[in-house]
Amino acid sequence: MNRKKIYPMYLLIIPMIMMIAFFVIPSTIGYVYAFTNWSAARYADVDFVGISNIIEVFANRKIPVAFVNTLVYALAKTICVTLLGFVFAYILNREIYSRTALRTVYFIPSVFSALVVGLVFSAVFQTRHGTINQILNFFGMQSVQWFGSRWTGVFSISVTEIWRNVGFAIVITLAGMQSVSSDYLEAAKIDGANEWQIFKNVTLPLIMPTVNVNILFSLIFGLKMFDLISVMTGGGPGNSTESFGTLVMHEMSAGRYAQSVSINLVFSILLLIVGAVYLKFSERWENIE
Amino acid sequence: MKKRAGRINRVLEIILWIFSIVTLYPLFMVLVTSFKTKAEASYMSIKLPEVWQFSNYAVVLEQDFVQNLGNSVFISVITVLVELCIASITAFVLVRRDTKGCRIINKIISLCIIAPFAAMPTIQLLRTMGMYGTRLSLCCVYSVLNMPLSVMLFSSSIKEIPRELDEAAVMDGAYGFSIFWRVILPIAKPTIATVAIMVFMSSWNELQIPLYLLNSSSKYTLPLSVYNFYGLYQNNWNLVCADVIMVSLPVVLVYVFAQKYVISGMTAGAVKG
Repeated sequence: MNRKKIYPMYLLIIPMIMMIAFFVIPSTIGYVYAFTNWSAARYADVDFVGISNIIEVFANRKIPVAFVNTLVYALAKTICVTLLGFVFAYILNREIYSRTALRTVYFIPSVFSALVVGLVFSAVFQTRHGTINQILNFFGMQSVQWFGSRWTGVFSISVTEIWRNVGFAIVITLAGMQSVSSDYLEAAKIDGANEWQIFKNVTLPLIMPTVNVNILFSLIFGLKMFDLISVMTGGGPGNSTESFGTLVMHEMSAGRYAQSVSINLVFSILLLIVGAVYLKFSERWENIE
Repeated sequence: MKKRAGRINRVLEIILWIFSIVTLYPLFMVLVTSFKTKAEASYMSIKLPEVWQFSNYAVVLEQDFVQNLGNSVFISVITVLVELCIASITAFVLVRRDTKGCRIINKIISLCIIAPFAAMPTIQLLRTMGMYGTRLSLCCVYSVLNMPLSVMLFSSSIKEIPRELDEAAVMDGAYGFSIFWRVILPIAKPTIATVAIMVFMSSWNELQIPLYLLNSSSKYTLPLSVYNFYGLYQNNWNLVCADVIMVSLPVVLVYVFAQKYVISGMTAGAVKG
């Protein structure tokens, strides 16, 4: 039967027009603006200025800060979320009666928008009367001004992001573990493997693809983090807790449109590299097993 | 041996419930704080308010809440409808046709999840099209940005529908759109629900894109209004919390009543690859 005739390409016309208009064009041709002197002041007559904006991006001293912060946010989130998700999912996969109820409870934070979570945790990390400082005071420790300096700010934002995403990781990892056929586990038991050996040699390799998807999502969304930062610290104090996402926004609202687009361009190249490298490595890991 | 394992499981279960306090405490605190007076609310705790201040919610309602709610509902519902139409047909053609061109299109769609939102170029494009600042432009942008996940969900369910059904339909003289409409779509109903709910939740919660694309406060969505509300009432935690509760209520309700679809949506893509 002729597949091309049964499933004609013209069915894709509308979806493809939308994809091209709202994603492909802005994300490719749109970056032409990175090579112009476009700004709030020069709105109408835009001229090409070559790669001077890109050079400026690398000379901009906000960039190294944002770069390091972005990596810290993404890595802290990915590592903690994956490990915690793994531990909780492993426990939940045992004979736990209230598994569904627990899964529901742990997943709740993922339902809320990052904005709401950010607001809630700016209350939790408040200097005066915030929950964390109350706990610290209870143990006789000094209150910390969480949003007052770079690393405490980055720490509080990362903790919030982890809190919001652990449930998601648990649900995915648990589903992966439950899809492991019990035949394998029984076969391993008959061969005399103990719990650790079963975990290391049977469960882990079989759920690796799931864990990989989980890690990739955590990394990508961690790198793209925006809402939490803009609610909790607004990138401050100074620009010290800024990520690429908020930096692009701030450059834009300052009227430096071309610079904002240039930073976005560098950022998307970074993301593409991370995505490609990770996919390459994860393929190799899966092939070893 | 078995008894001991059972006992360990009970202990672990209790530990898990104790840990769940970390999840529930902040949420409960917000709920309680939303009923407090301003002075009480400045102490973050789960102590119940002395007098329950339902008037906090009245203050929130006065802040164009209804209008913003209308905007959010409009944008989310239209986005869901557009998304269902374009994602299901795309997945159908890409899975069934499966030529080289289709695989390239698939790759481009999955790039959508990696690439950051190109804010300024999108604004400029919408300006050229005369759509900048409209609610409809948000619907279009959302539905395109949600394409990767939705197409993935539809693809994995369409892959499970045997090709023989299509072939039988072809024998009866159907092809193209009518196979999709009469054969595939009725079988993929559960996926429609999953995609609808996932897209609804993500577009309801979105902050970054409306922040870029909406320019008049009459079109603000709820998250955006909370963002501004927080700027105005930064020290009135009771009001901010009431606002947060009102804004989150719809998604929480969707989660409570459609949990099955939310969880299956989250896991289907990841587990099946």
